[in-house]
Amino acid sequence: MLLNQGIGITGMGIVSSIGDNITTFTHSLQQGISGIQTKEAITKPPLSVTIAAEIRNFSFVEKLKNIPNVPEEKFKKAKRLGQRAPFVIQMTILAALQAWTQAKLFENTVASDRIGLVVAGQNSTQNYQYNLLSQFVDNPEYLSPRYALEFLETNQVGVLSELFEIEGEGVAVGGASATGNVGIIKGHQLLALGIVDVCLVVGVPADLSPLDIQGFINIGAMGGKTYNDQPSLACRPFDKKHEGFIYGQASTSVILENQKSADQRVVASLAKVSGYGYNLDKNSSANPNLTGEEKAMKTAMQNAEISTSDVNYINTHGSSSPLGDQTEAEAIFNIFKYHTDTVYLNATKGLTGHCLYTAGMVEIIATVIQMKHGFLHPNRNLKNPIHNELQFCGKVATKYTIQNALCNSFGFGGINTAIVLENID
Amino acid sequence: MSREEVYDIVQETIMDVIPDVEKEDIAIEKQLKDIGANSIDRMEIVTMSMRELNVKIPLMSFAGVNNIEGLVNVLHENVNN
Repeated sequence: MLLNQGIGITGMGIVSSIGDNITTFTHSLQQGISGIQTKEAITKPPLSVTIAAEIRNFSFVEKLKNIPNVPEEKFKKAKRLGQRAPFVIQMTILAALQAWTQAKLFENTVASDRIGLVVAGQNSTQNYQYNLLSQFVDNPEYLSPRYALEFLETNQVGVLSELFEIEGEGVAVGGASATGNVGIIKGHQLLALGIVDVCLVVGVPADLSPLDIQGFINIGAMGGKTYNDQPSLACRPFDKKHEGFIYGQASTSVILENQKSADQRVVASLAKVSGYGYNLDKNSSANPNLTGEEKAMKTAMQNAEISTSDVNYINTHGSSSPLGDQTEAEAIFNIFKYHTDTVYLNATKGLTGHCLYTAGMVEIIATVIQMKHGFLHPNRNLKNPIHNELQFCGKVATKYTIQNALCNSFGFGGINTAIVLENID
Repeated sequence: MSREEVYDIVQETIMDVIPDVEKEDIAIEKQLKDIGANSIDRMEIVTMSMRELNVKIPLMSFAGVNNIEGLVNVLHENVNN
């Protein structure tokens, strides 16, 4: 690392199928609640998988009103920017405001050119575009001029930088299912290089179009084959009956900040981002790679200057994909085989579904929450684990003190990431 | 369709595009930018009004338009064609 100051998390925010803020999300983790249900609306055309952990009964203005400590002028600005904006913008505004207020950035300010913005998201406007198509084909002239702004992922950068008056570097990054971790890593790098002192990292929800869903079905990645009629049983990370991921929706936000800035602003760091690994597999296809996954985890620990015995919790990628789970279990076992009795594993996707672009950040947030509250959330539907020597969390939450956590995310196209979080309590 | 009716539709469109504006703030002689519409809002008001009125007018026709009255005139001419 270039700068030898710590880089930590000073604020978090989330809107998910199991909680629309950190408090309710925490409660759901403790109770092991899953958001996976039969979808409310039928797609046009209808598809064979009709279950997901979607956001329900969503009212942007109602949720905006419920965020405490937002100055009146900022509330009005957020309302104006969000009320006619696409769903994925409304969601990120909410999560970002939660994180920003937790980090007290409205009161204890930072110079706007010392704040950076990383939007962890890609292809988030697929469904928005899909819904405009039939009207467009009949009357192309009536397409809203806003489309030209709104279809681009960088609309997130524009809107969020306007709302929070950010003048440092801003970028949208993609990493398929590892996008969330990639966002945190890129934010970390901006801080380590001294380009900014604070970085707002925002995870964009997946709003899949019927094309996307069918694509995932046809490539064999999506679950819901056997269990479409029993949604609560469908997502089974590391269980012998796993059959693919179940789609989930969430928006997330994390404030990354260097220690010096946090100390000056007198705000607490919730956890330290002490290292990461990020490597590609020279592979354009969807299959995971054992060596690539091991390398990401090992590099993360080396970066964090810790050894395997210092890690006592792994938040797995655990997507409920047969090949994915198997490869990850083997990779973890290869590294931790002499410490299996001191490391616990769980899979947050069993509760939140696979939030795709934002999954990595959902899981970083879940890890910090477990660290701060001293527990590990349960694994759902883990009846017959595919690996006998790894220690998986059980059906109920258990009291536990995480020392150092490893957070894994892997994506199509040979993308491997792992992040180490250090408990600073 | 009368000019009044066209103006009613334009008024509704303005209130859709600029949700915070009150109906009383909209007057036919006003300029859109004076009621808080930025350049994209203005384009959107034009496109949405055309859709509501079921007319397709090349955007060039709106080039000389200075205020809401001008907009209503261009739309009205084409509605009755």
